Amino acid sequence: MTINIENKNNDETVNSLNKDAESSRRNFIFGSVAAAGLSVAPGMMLYQTANARSLSDFSLKEGASSKVRWGMLVDTTKDVDWNKCVDACNKEHGLGNEKNSRDDQKTQYIRVVDVKNKGTGYSMSLPVMCQHCESAPCVDVCPTGASMKRPDGIVLVDRHRCIGCRYCMMACPYKARSFVHEVLTDQTENTPRGKGCVESCNMCVNRIDNGQEPACVEASGGAIIFGDLNDSESPISKILSKHGGKQIRADLKLNPGVHYQGI
Amino acid sequence: MWLHLNFNFGFNSSFVRKSLQKLPLTVAGLALIASLNTVNASQDGLGPKITLPENSEGKSCVLPSEQMRREHPDLLKHDRIQTLREGVRAKADDKALDGSLKQCVNCHAVKDESNKFVRIDNDQHFCVSCHKYAAVSIDCFQCHRDIPEGSGAFHALTNHKDVNYSNVVPGNYSLTVKDMANIAPEVNSDDN
Ligand code: SF4
Ligand code: SF4
Repeated sequence: MTINIENKNNDETVNSLNKDAESSRRNFIFGSVAAAGLSVAPGMMLYQTANARSLSDFSLKEGASSKVRWGMLVDTTKDVDWNKCVDACNKEHGLGNEKNSRDDQKTQYIRVVDVKNKGTGYSMSLPVMCQHCESAPCVDVCPTGASMKRPDGIVLVDRHRCIGCRYCMMACPYKARSFVHEVLTDQTENTPRGKGCVESCNMCVNRIDNGQEPACVEASGGAIIFGDLNDSESPISKILSKHGGKQIRADLKLNPGVHYQGI
Repeated sequence: MWLHLNFNFGFNSSFVRKSLQKLPLTVAGLALIASLNTVNASQDGLGPKITLPENSEGKSCVLPSEQMRREHPDLLKHDRIQTLREGVRAKADDKALDGSLKQCVNCHAVKDESNKFVRIDNDQHFCVSCHKYAAVSIDCFQCHRDIPEGSGAFHALTNHKDVNYSNVVPGNYSLTVKDMANIAPEVNSDDN
């Protein structure tokens, strides 16, 4: 697949290397970065307390509230093996239990995309999951209302309604969605998933509703910050307003909830 | 769910639709009532053999048994819309919702002779044991986990505080969602 990342500053476009669309979509680029080199910046406490206010403030009995907009900020300049996030995600949601599917058919909620500027030779990796778009094309096209956005901005698939038409997979510009091709067993308790349904990163909605951060955020060692984009006092908003961040393909004006630094 | 499907047959006459809605429910209700009454007399070969949770004698589920037999699909359907689509994870009193399939499974899981939880392909599985008899085929467990995982998610038990659930959750009779997250029943890894 090709991901075009626009760099507004110098008008330079970085193109993804991946040539074979299907297989590269699934084959993670295994990290060349040693996790041992990870140094914890002085500001890291900021990230860890990121959700203290927002997560506990919203009651489970009131449901998702549009006062909140959950988002993530991925700092790609951090020396992190993103595959740790992929592993954490797979474990959290019990992914990888397909027995008969081809590699390119297996579900992935988050993948590591390798991008390279052919002009300068500069290359980098970034984790790409569902971007939890504000104007989500996957929600627009869904004929049954299965692809849906919670009031707090989390986009997910209601499998009770999904008929497996895969229209949303076509509509998603980030290729964030997967389709389950075979009968599954041994799902996790919190992530029911099965044959004939489309699925994608649900921002670990089960963890968020339980007052925890998403699994990939926890595994990233501070390189991904999670928090409330609507709360100007939340660390994620403060960092975004001070240092800025970019959304992938911001030109599509979907206003994703996932922001990046260093792309 | 079958009730749901019956709403969508596309008949225009509301009379026809209503009768259709009621018919399967009534038939199933009769079948279930008839069958569940024979649970204790299953030696005579009548009715399904239903395995109730261990030490469950004299205890009831989130609603009295008669209601559970008829209304469990509605409970589950109602709460699935609340939890998934609206993000409501607790009742007004902060207790867990009643119709959460993982909570059902955690209480109703059945073990076989070798002390392993039986999966959905086994006729002893609590749901299967009755659904099979009543000729209900339903897809819940194509997606949902069919045996406990060890998270210890149980319903809040507030509907019947007087009932002794100590076999399930020692000493706790009124649990919040947070409490439940901290309670994990013993599940051996080879149970899975
Ligand atoms: S990234 Fe794709 S799946 Fe996620 S909300 Fe946007 S369009 Fe939908
Ligand atoms: S938020 Fe959860 S579901 Fe989404 S990529 Fe991260 S770990 Fe996976």
